[in-house]
Amino acid sequence: MTSPVTQSLERIPDQLGYLVIHEDGAVIASSGELENDEKTAGIIMNMVHMASRVQLSPDRNDPFKRLSVVFDTYMFVITISNHKVYVCKRKYLPSEPINA
Amino acid sequence: MEESLDKQLDDTMNVHGVVGVLAADHQGLCLASKGNAQVSGAGLMSSLAEAGKQLSSDEQKCPVVCLESDTCNILIKSHDNVTMAIYKVAS
Repeated sequence: MTSPVTQSLERIPDQLGYLVIHEDGAVIASSGELENDEKTAGIIMNMVHMASRVQLSPDRNDPFKRLSVVFDTYMFVITISNHKVYVCKRKYLPSEPINA
Repeated sequence: MEESLDKQLDDTMNVHGVVGVLAADHQGLCLASKGNAQVSGAGLMSSLAEAGKQLSSDEQKCPVVCLESDTCNILIKSHDNVTMAIYKVAS
């Protein structure tokens, strides 16, 4: 079942899978390596709740915009929009820094 | 006793863009903090690092957890029961 939102997620470069999770924890859509992966969805929702309580800036309320979990060869990139949590698993291809 | 940890945190603070640094143990106790790093966030940092490990099939692998906002990024990584959180200005 594709919608405009999942179509956008499908087009993310190097994506290995995605999850769309409602704020109450229910998985709305999933694909690829994250298809039907309720366990990962649960862990990520737990992380999102914790991350939303971290104070990034000492003097004002500055909620996070993006949460990334970076492993050796892949990463999870997580954001919140319109009461839904969007998770994309992407390949991680670090490039060597260029020293001039 | 904490001289070497303190020195390490001082060296990290001297890196361009770093505005805070925090070290916590595996139970969330803040071992040391400098700059903008909030001592009260030590438990959350440890928990985030621990939860990040659960996303891999190999529980020995510790990922880098990054929280990004418009003003600041926090980079969290744990190693050998110590979790480090580095606060950097958003570039």
